Amino acid sequence: MAERRFHSALQHRADRAGAKGLSIALKEMDDRGVIDVRGLPTDAGFLPAVKDVLGFDLPMDPRTSRSRGEISALWLSTDQWLIILPRETAPDFHARLVKSLAGIHSLVVDVSDARAIVRLEGDTVRETMNKGTSADFTDSGMKAGTVRRLLYAQVAALAHVVSTDPDVIDLYVFRSYADHAWSFLLATAREGARVKLFGKQG
Amino acid sequence: MLSIKCPVCGVEGDETDFHYGHQAHVARPATTDPDNISDQHQGDYLFMRHNPKGLHFERWRCDRGCGKWFHAARDTMTMEFKAYYRIDEMPPDDVKKAATGAWAQVFARSQDGGDG
Amino acid sequence: MAGKPYRVPKGLARERLIDRLRPLRFSFDGKSMSGFHGDTLASALLANGRRLMGRSFKYHRPRSAVGIGAEEMNALVGVGDGARHEPNLRATQVEIYDGLTAVSQNRWPNLDFDLGGLSNEFSRLFPAGFYYKTFMWPQSLWKGLYEPLIRRAAGLGRAARERDPDTYEHIHVHCDVLVAGGGIAGLAAANAAAASGKRVILADENASFGGSCDLSGETIEGLPPSDWVEERVRALKAAENVHVLNRTTVAGHFHHNHVLMVERVGDHDPGLLAKGAPRQRLWKVRAQTLIMATGAIERPISFANNDRPGIMLATAVRGYIDRYGVAPGEECVIFTNNDNAYLTAIALKSSGVKVRPIVDVRARAESAIIDQARGAGIEIVNGAVVSGVETSRGGASIDAVKISPYRSGKGRIVSETRVACDFLAVSGGFNPAVHLWCHNGGKIRFDDRLYSFVPDRHDAAIRAVGAANGKMDSATCVEEGYAAGQATAKASKTKKSKVHGKAAAGQQSEAPLEPIWFVPATGKYNEGNKHFVDFQNDVTAADLELAQREGYESVELTKRYTTLGMATDQGKTSNVNGLGILAEATGLSIPEIGYTTFRPPYTPITFGTVAGPNRGPLFLPVRQTAIFDWHVEHGADFEPVGLWRRPYCYPKGSEDRASAVRREILTVRNRVGLLDASTLGKIEIKGPDAGEFLDRIYTNMFSTLAIGRARYGLMLNELGFLIDDGVTVRLGEDHFLMHTTSGGADRIAAWLEEWLQTEWMTLKVFVTPVTEQWAQFAVAGPDARKVMQKLDGDMDFSAEAFPFMSMKQGTLASYPVRVYRISFSGELSFEVATPANFGRGLWDAIIEAGREFGLDVYGTEALHILRAEKGFIVIGDETDGTVTPHDVGLSWAVSKKKRDFLGKRSLSQPYLAAHGRKQLVGLYTEDPQEVLPDGAHAVERVEPKPPMRTIGHVTSSYFSPTLNRSIAMALIDNGLKRMGETLEFPLEKGIVKAKVVDPVFFDKEGARQNG
Repeated sequence: MAERRFHSALQHRADRAGAKGLSIALKEMDDRGVIDVRGLPTDAGFLPAVKDVLGFDLPMDPRTSRSRGEISALWLSTDQWLIILPRETAPDFHARLVKSLAGIHSLVVDVSDARAIVRLEGDTVRETMNKGTSADFTDSGMKAGTVRRLLYAQVAALAHVVSTDPDVIDLYVFRSYADHAWSFLLATAREGARVKLFGKQG
Repeated sequence: MLSIKCPVCGVEGDETDFHYGHQAHVARPATTDPDNISDQHQGDYLFMRHNPKGLHFERWRCDRGCGKWFHAARDTMTMEFKAYYRIDEMPPDDVKKAATGAWAQVFARSQDGGDG
Repeated sequence: MAGKPYRVPKGLARERLIDRLRPLRFSFDGKSMSGFHGDTLASALLANGRRLMGRSFKYHRPRSAVGIGAEEMNALVGVGDGARHEPNLRATQVEIYDGLTAVSQNRWPNLDFDLGGLSNEFSRLFPAGFYYKTFMWPQSLWKGLYEPLIRRAAGLGRAARERDPDTYEHIHVHCDVLVAGGGIAGLAAANAAAASGKRVILADENASFGGSCDLSGETIEGLPPSDWVEERVRALKAAENVHVLNRTTVAGHFHHNHVLMVERVGDHDPGLLAKGAPRQRLWKVRAQTLIMATGAIERPISFANNDRPGIMLATAVRGYIDRYGVAPGEECVIFTNNDNAYLTAIALKSSGVKVRPIVDVRARAESAIIDQARGAGIEIVNGAVVSGVETSRGGASIDAVKISPYRSGKGRIVSETRVACDFLAVSGGFNPAVHLWCHNGGKIRFDDRLYSFVPDRHDAAIRAVGAANGKMDSATCVEEGYAAGQATAKASKTKKSKVHGKAAAGQQSEAPLEPIWFVPATGKYNEGNKHFVDFQNDVTAADLELAQREGYESVELTKRYTTLGMATDQGKTSNVNGLGILAEATGLSIPEIGYTTFRPPYTPITFGTVAGPNRGPLFLPVRQTAIFDWHVEHGADFEPVGLWRRPYCYPKGSEDRASAVRREILTVRNRVGLLDASTLGKIEIKGPDAGEFLDRIYTNMFSTLAIGRARYGLMLNELGFLIDDGVTVRLGEDHFLMHTTSGGADRIAAWLEEWLQTEWMTLKVFVTPVTEQWAQFAVAGPDARKVMQKLDGDMDFSAEAFPFMSMKQGTLASYPVRVYRISFSGELSFEVATPANFGRGLWDAIIEAGREFGLDVYGTEALHILRAEKGFIVIGDETDGTVTPHDVGLSWAVSKKKRDFLGKRSLSQPYLAAHGRKQLVGLYTEDPQEVLPDGAHAVERVEPKPPMRTIGHVTSSYFSPTLNRSIAMALIDNGLKRMGETLEFPLEKGIVKAKVVDPVFFDKEGARQNG
């Protein structure tokens, strides 16, 4: 059997490894797999069936996430979550989840290739986000674990605040927009355009 | 640029994060009795809408948040949102009472178990 | 013009803003000049003795700076070279730097000698409404002659022709309190709000803070104003919860306290631009509370030739001396109707400038400041006006002013006294800068103490403080600022705001102002006298009165007829004066006249700032499929499909588009083609009610579809019109995969959610869009099966095992795939989907496997022609939002059994059920080589000239390589009854005739796709 060839959404970008002159660090997270889970928490059996495979409870509070080890569960809606996990484990996880949810009203889809994930890390990550979206990433409510769907650089996106010290945000955009979002990030995260909102000013 | 708050997920954001869904509380006749809808009734359902100066009731979708539809009561003069409520709900009583004109009639009918 | 040493000797003025130790050079109209760090272009030009800064818009009259800030209407200049040139900047706000180049505008051949100035000589020919009256007729001359002529003569600066080399950006920010204006009221408000821990943004349009408090002559809380300001700014900058922005104009106020601000990041320092700073940044602020501390703008007084260079606002004169050490001349007359201008007299006097009399409109006025002026030995003439100026050098130099006795309402001036001077400081009172208040529906009311408008009612969380609120003394400004800032803290849980001592009473009681809008002149209006109201648009008092006489009673109409207040300064200095003159002309009061709309932005915004980062490749997002790079590498000629870029065709060598498309079609028809169909919308639908749900969404039946089988479906909106079509596959008992059109992917996913959430809430169905998860390719053509079989896989592709309209999941060339036997080309066709990140690998494998069968790629144009040959419709081509399935021959796909589906009831509304609607037909042109243009109309009868009654139009039209002739589809009145008829299409080049035929042009039985 021939070797499978894998091409991430940003593989074609020569600057993918990191561009010079930026105020933050950027990298594509192409080793993540993503499972989209839909189900009703009010359906008896749904949450336990997911927990059986996931190993922990799905987050139930809006715009939050829960992580254990290499796996995170992101709240997307009252009946929708994204499970983020190592890419190579996604097909097996998907199969196990489908099996566990058999007979329960649910929809589980492996969407590992539907989005590109870009990790933003550094001092002015929040301000850089604010240059592309009307959602406020400098708000104190944007704690570690926060999940926010938004419009970023004119495209549908999702941001996951991975940590706040240091500031790390994973930005998810649909695969076809990855090139655009990457270019927008490079343009707005330039060192010369650095902005630090609030805080002491010189 | 309006600022809107989704009553489902609590996200508050710019109008561009939401999708406007036109007038609220428009009942689809075919859902209840598809075989007995007069042309007039169908025409009203499709085309006749309120256009109040003041309190109005609308549907919005939390497009960039939880994706859920919800209801909102908005003053078309001041742009103030008076209430947000779930898609399967009628407006809170105090807001309902403040409705005037065609809307007041709609809510009076719904008291009798009509529209909804 | 000969330069005089207008910079006052060191030590006589405070020169607060300039640094004499940092001299720099700049040029104006090519002439090199010197200035100091901290100068504005206006202050530096005045310091160089350069008074003449521009020519007026309409009459090309010589003009100089009148003001000192955003209110400036005359001194518009172009700054920067080449691509960086920006026109129409207010010289009063341009900070100079070493090497700055500036040019004057609206003059030819040069500023000092301007031919356009002749229009001033003939100015009695150019009254209000001149253009409307004169160039109405003949209409044919408008485009070619009048408009270009007027545009050349009347004008502002020229935009740079080259691409702007600088960057611009946007940023969103949210705060509890936004304070617009960093004068003392704004600083006090920001301090009080910040003390409570609120998130505060303070923005001021100038480089430094303090507004005009430095010119107030008062102390603030016991401190000299500049010290007080410095202390406040330092405290705000040190706070963790405050963001302080200078050089930032609060440009507009919108719904729900959305506020736009423009920060001039690098305009004042080319060094910053060189380091990569954006030139300007647009701030999109969402503020819980907006505090408007925008100050007030002094108004001029309309008297004969009140636009002459050297006639300036009194506060501006004081500012040039106090801030820049610049005196606009050597001998000054002051003309005022209020106390404030007396401060200017005192400041001039102490800086060594001679002050000729203060001409005070008021017959009697007594106050401390007046006493002070008198005590300094300054002559005061009460009950008098300046009725005109004597000038030389074409109006560019003032020699003397004429002073006349004045009694309000007593008509024309009869006697005049001449007083020699070389400049004049004027104050007609102050207008609160209420612009922001009015942008979003705030009401203003007339204040008969200020004789101006002050903020009144507002529905938004906005408060006006200080001079913007009509409070003209420092103590009240500060007090109001603190109060407003503290009020924002009320709901706060953090520690209560520090109590600030009540503002120290540095206040001096003022004598009341006497309104004056217009000073008559000796002689009539047009005997060389012009009383300017709107300087920038050259609108005079005579124009306003003419508009009144001609019946323009509404102030909004007068505004448009005369262009009052419609220039780039938006009437900052002219609006209230204009209303005053109209009030006098009509005998109405100013409140009865009303006011015109204040529109954002407060000062003009560059296009670069509006565009921000969204320019060039970032203007609009471009969606790329997983195969995008392959397409680029193989010379694809792209076309936009929604936001996607899809290959239209792949020209080889010297092939043109048409030949490439023709070759690609024949490849599909004769051998096998490969299409990147990844853009197709894909939606997974699952749940116990999924079948029922699809039955309600589609016109036809899906609950009966067998697992593993596919069906073509039509979707209608509730009006009964087609909105989308596509093939849906049943993956499992309660699990479907819907394909939508490429353009419909997002829209239809939202459509499904909407019905589930808002109407059929009890249906248990989940909908998850998966378009982006999959790369999808069509392998189409007589040899398609051979290619599939050649690929290493685990599926049986034989006709028996894999019939038309079925699907299989498996592995192909080691890649996980879903394969659908569906066809949009009419050929034997397999659509193969694999996860997007494997897309490129599988694509390459298919090309490799297809090599021996002559496989080649095809683009969207070939796709469209292939489908047209088969008579397949495209949503958006054959449909336009008013087309039903019956109209396009798809009645077979409309279920008669189902009681309800979306659009069903409307299909039987009388207007849709009626006979004679337009129906889809095919067309064969008489000349098979003739291709009808898309959208061509067929007419009932060709007439010698329009109008002709049209009976329908062409929806798709191509040259078909398969049939070697042209084909077209058209929606024609009663089309199905016209089979065989010949229709006439009157086109520009002549009448084209075409025969009505069946729209399925090729392989009517479908033997090829079913094979």
